[in-house]
Amino acid sequence: MRAWPSLSVCKHRHLQFAQRRQHSVLSHNLKAYVSPRPTAVLNTAELLPASPRDPYVLVASEIDQLRSNLLNLLGSAHPTLHQLAQHYFVHPSKQLRPLVVLLLSRATNGLGSEWEQKKWIAECERVSGRDEELDQPLTRPGVLNDNNPNMPEHTTSFQSLFALQTPKISPEHPPLPFPYETNSVSRLVNPPMILPAQIRLAQLMEMIHVASSLHDHIADSSDGSGNKLAVLGGDFLLGRASTALSRLGDDEVVELVATVIANIVEGTIWKASNVGTRPVESPVSPSQGWNRYFNRIYLGSASLLAKAGRAAVILGGSKEGEIWKEVAYMYGLHVGFANQLMKDVNSYEEDASSFDALTAPLIYAWEEHSFLKPIIQRQFSEEGDVEQARHAVHTCSGLERTRMLAFKHAEKAREVLHFLPDSDTKDALEELTIRTVEART
Amino acid sequence: MRGCALKFRRNLYFQPCRRALSISSASSPNTHDHSRSLPDPFALVAPELSQIRKDLVRLLGSAHPGLDEIASYYFLRPSKQLRPLLILLFSQATNGLGRDWPLKQWMSEQPRPGGCLENLDEPLSRANILNDWNPNIKDKTTLYDPEFTFSLPQTPKELPPPPLSIFSSLERELTSPLSILPTQMRLAQIVEMVHAASLLHDDVIDESPLRRGSTSAPEAFGKKFAVLGGNFVLGRASVALARLGDPEVVQLIASIIANLVEGEILQMQDVEADDILAVPSSQIAKNAWTMYLQKTYMKTASLMAKGARSAVVLGGCMDGETYKEVAYAYGRNLGIAFQLVDDVLDYEAVEDTLGKPGGADLQLGLATGPALYAWEEHPEMGPLIERKFGEVGDVEFARDLVRKSAGVERTRALAIAYAEQARDVLQALPESEARAALEALTERVIKRKS
Repeated sequence: MRAWPSLSVCKHRHLQFAQRRQHSVLSHNLKAYVSPRPTAVLNTAELLPASPRDPYVLVASEIDQLRSNLLNLLGSAHPTLHQLAQHYFVHPSKQLRPLVVLLLSRATNGLGSEWEQKKWIAECERVSGRDEELDQPLTRPGVLNDNNPNMPEHTTSFQSLFALQTPKISPEHPPLPFPYETNSVSRLVNPPMILPAQIRLAQLMEMIHVASSLHDHIADSSDGSGNKLAVLGGDFLLGRASTALSRLGDDEVVELVATVIANIVEGTIWKASNVGTRPVESPVSPSQGWNRYFNRIYLGSASLLAKAGRAAVILGGSKEGEIWKEVAYMYGLHVGFANQLMKDVNSYEEDASSFDALTAPLIYAWEEHSFLKPIIQRQFSEEGDVEQARHAVHTCSGLERTRMLAFKHAEKAREVLHFLPDSDTKDALEELTIRTVEART
Repeated sequence: MRGCALKFRRNLYFQPCRRALSISSASSPNTHDHSRSLPDPFALVAPELSQIRKDLVRLLGSAHPGLDEIASYYFLRPSKQLRPLLILLFSQATNGLGRDWPLKQWMSEQPRPGGCLENLDEPLSRANILNDWNPNIKDKTTLYDPEFTFSLPQTPKELPPPPLSIFSSLERELTSPLSILPTQMRLAQIVEMVHAASLLHDDVIDESPLRRGSTSAPEAFGKKFAVLGGNFVLGRASVALARLGDPEVVQLIASIIANLVEGEILQMQDVEADDILAVPSSQIAKNAWTMYLQKTYMKTASLMAKGARSAVVLGGCMDGETYKEVAYAYGRNLGIAFQLVDDVLDYEAVEDTLGKPGGADLQLGLATGPALYAWEEHPEMGPLIERKFGEVGDVEFARDLVRKSAGVERTRALAIAYAEQARDVLQALPESEARAALEALTERVIKRKS
């Protein structure tokens, strides 16, 4: 069992909070950090060490490949969907999700007890060439891209009634050659590698993310054709993602990703004010506000990263009872929280005139100023509400405190990494936690 | 007469289908064994269908009451439940025949993944990892807890292997009485959920104010939440799918999700023609028909075909056994027949109501069977199809052309041919009440008026 390492990574940091010493991975209690106001505004430059390495570098070619695959997929479909590809091209995403999946894979492959089996299956599939089907463009008229590995193909069978097909026996993978080295000693595979299944997972998580963004932009007032595009585009990506997910062949992974799809919807719905006929009351206290908030950002953001990381490590052969998938889940969870908290700070700073939801900066302010309660309850609908709320946030340093909370999460993510053996990928993962909370210049 | 459908050498669409005249009456000497009365397919599994409907909404529970409402919206209305029916009947018609049936039967009594009913709700990952809180299944789900701590879980106990005795017998025959496994019941629910999710999205895309006679979901909740509700239902269906514990079934059902949307996109494709006013050359018409039938397969028949196939897989039918293929061929032909009849009714329903401007398909710019047949007889239909009946007066003119032509009759004849084909493939299954119900279903699909 590993001893707790010193927080050597943090030697350049000069946090003013005594709580830092009380950190341990085992006491992740968010509420303990939701507290005192800083006595001075912290300079983030003092907090962050000089960053030596770009986390994208180690997996640059995979990331590029994923991006161009996605563009091709969108572009090859109906000409109308092509517009979506253009949009995606012009506003490229940070690809945070694929990055986390790929880095966690690279940092843990070899450690799980079923690593050898997974590697073997990947090799069998590469040889049989089954892998490329999922990047095929959209079904064209007359060509039924309906490849199911267990079903005979029928591409031209619309010219007549469909006849009973001869059953086909699909080839099974040859078994792992015996004897193989049972993975009794957990050791990273060297040189580091990423399985095709894990790359596929990274791709489908990004597709789910893009699909959710598309669906998020459906509006009732806008024109029908814009909506139609958003619905179809998102559905197309979700359909391909589902197919790809099913081909990974792991029920546990399917379950995880399926809950992500449901979670994302829940996160969005909790953010909205009026859905359906049964109203949800606004929170009545800051404590309830925090619960609601953490629940919402778990569902809408952190859940995807946490479960994607976990799924990646499962695909690398980590079994229940082994630490690796727990590490991956916690890492993704904390990076997800840190990322969303920073986003909430940034959107607050960018858009001075609107308040769309009760986010962390405001909840901090609410703790100090109970006059905010009716304003929050009426959802900033009256004249002067937004200004009052902003002023309160400013006097309580709501933004800085939210940033500190984000730093805490980034720190938690780094701590969990200590369970992993050292590697350049692990360094990249650490670097990612630092970059996630960098202030935008 | 039965074998005739299998021997069609030329394209169906170009034959005026002389068979149509002989099939339409039930007392035709050509249809087999009409002295035996066919059972009501729905009656055979009525209690199971009712159970499915009640239980399904339970799976969709969420902490947010609004989401709860949207997700269950279409399930609270009466529906035909045709798709679950298919799953249940094929289960009954094949359980016992598959090589792995003894294993599946044993599993259905075991508390393990893909086993007995209670275990189908058991999460594969820990509840505090999934955080998919469902107030209807409180003991197996949780809300996200901000005080969640890192922990190292226990290594799970290994599940004992099945007893060797279940592999000893090689005889296979239908179970008596006919049976349905818990996994097959769950599959019926999953299929219904996938179908409902697609309806939620379709109603947004088509901008329909109504569904099954009442307000549609986008009308009631707004477009965005109708779409999100559909995604939520799909997510929950996929979770249930994973817990069935059969990767082949997961792949089949997941591919349906892709088929549904790609069928919709295919429908948006333009019909190409060099000289749109000429009688459609056989190649152009062939393309138009191919697109139409392919779209029909992807949007309608695929779910039935793969659903039925999945039911048979869950019953332990293996690769190399014919039963999976029977299920798929039946579902595919029946599904196409079903949609063709739907397209016919879209024209006929108009006739009954005075003054109604035109069926929904024309309004949406869709050229279905009757319109495509009419195009053959009246080349002036071509430009209308090409511009998707977009100009003023197009819809009425098209409807008129269809009425003047044999479009409706020929489409109905084509539907009958597909339904007959579905019935024919059933001959590969042993006789049973369930098989008889499936045969009856092929007739119902044709004879329905709504």
